[in-house]
Amino acid sequence: MNFDIDGNPDFGQLTVGLEPGEKFLAEAGSMAFMSDGTEIGSKIIGGLGKALIRKVVGKESLFVGEYSHPTGGNVTFSPDRPGMIVHRKMRGDTFVLTAGSFLAATPGITLNTKFVSFSAMFSGEGAFTIEASGGGDLFFNSYGAIIEKQVNGSLTVDTGHAVAWDPGLKYTVATIAGAKSTILSGEGLVLNFTGQGTVYIQTRTLGSVARWVGGMYR
Amino acid sequence: MDVQVEDRGAFSWVQVGLEGEEQFVSESGAMFRSSTNIDIEVTTRGGKGGGILSGIGRSLAGESFFLSTYRSLDGQPGDVGLAPTHQGEIRKIELDGSARWLCTGGSYLGSARSLELDTAFQGIGGMLSGESLSFMGVTGEGPLVVTAFGKLTEIEVDGNFTVDTGHVVAFEETLSYSVGKAAKSFIKSFLVGEGLVLKFSGRGRVYVQSHNPDEFGKSLGSMLPPRREG
Repeated sequence: MNFDIDGNPDFGQLTVGLEPGEKFLAEAGSMAFMSDGTEIGSKIIGGLGKALIRKVVGKESLFVGEYSHPTGGNVTFSPDRPGMIVHRKMRGDTFVLTAGSFLAATPGITLNTKFVSFSAMFSGEGAFTIEASGGGDLFFNSYGAIIEKQVNGSLTVDTGHAVAWDPGLKYTVATIAGAKSTILSGEGLVLNFTGQGTVYIQTRTLGSVARWVGGMYR
Repeated sequence: MDVQVEDRGAFSWVQVGLEGEEQFVSESGAMFRSSTNIDIEVTTRGGKGGGILSGIGRSLAGESFFLSTYRSLDGQPGDVGLAPTHQGEIRKIELDGSARWLCTGGSYLGSARSLELDTAFQGIGGMLSGESLSFMGVTGEGPLVVTAFGKLTEIEVDGNFTVDTGHVVAFEETLSYSVGKAAKSFIKSFLVGEGLVLKFSGRGRVYVQSHNPDEFGKSLGSMLPPRREG
């Protein structure tokens, strides 16, 4: 299996070269074009219960597409929004993704749903994260470009801009300057990370575009 | 006629230089600047046999009802700048008259007046699916300009190739095509969120876009705050 990410950071798309017998899992609806003869099945990652939770609270779809090709072929995937695609090689470790940023994975990877906090739920930001574990290749996407930030000590990130992070990092959900200013400024909740590890941050959020567009038809 | 794609990438645009009797047609609303000697005529015409019906046809194909036609008032060189709605790449295709090109909804930006425009319907099934499966047909010799949402890729098909309907920009009719489902069964196609695909066969060029405007619209739309009544 080989991977080619093209078009980053504006219009990332992922092309996967499949050898006979290989399988690849991708977010529902993400297939853009493919070789003739590609077979598509549906699969639930991590069991029905976990998948249901991801669907209801994690903004992910219940099923992922399972792609294979009997004689070998290429399939190209793209997320629903323009932005960047990042490849992470998993070697039995775990990795945390915010809801909606999962794009694709090889079959050795399992997804779990983790509850973050009640305050995050009430703020309209993602109250759950997705924990990817296992071995293989994981692909996630952003709106806008992705900045890879090494945390060594502490770092504060707006919840809407946080895409993914190493599970070794601890974090608390907080408001920057009290609940009142959070509501008034539209500045969402923040994640205060501490420890050592990498945080992936997106330079734009679709939520703020939606708020802007929403303001146009008032 | 000098048609140039300027500023590659997300914010591409097209400059059309016109002189003498040359005329260029675009989707209405695409012009963002022009020199003062350019005349703009807004019509529903699309080549021979135009009129209201062709305007309705274009609407069904996901294009604008009206077209704008540009020409130089005094025959002296003038220019028009055209830009699409979405962020993404633009490509000029020189038609040699050998085959009709089909553009999907929203991907036609403009063409020389010498090219004829028509609408190719894909039947009631296409309309029921909620995806735009009517095409704008472009025939003749001259430049055609198409736009993409995102990255535009040219694929030389020799054999068979499958594209999600939301990712097709334009293709040569030397290819035969059929509308089908992505997976073997409708249920599977539905479960994995893949609606309809276009299955191409034969030899010819297909232009595809990296992103699907409808998917983006749905994602953004679902985040919009509720509209206030009154």
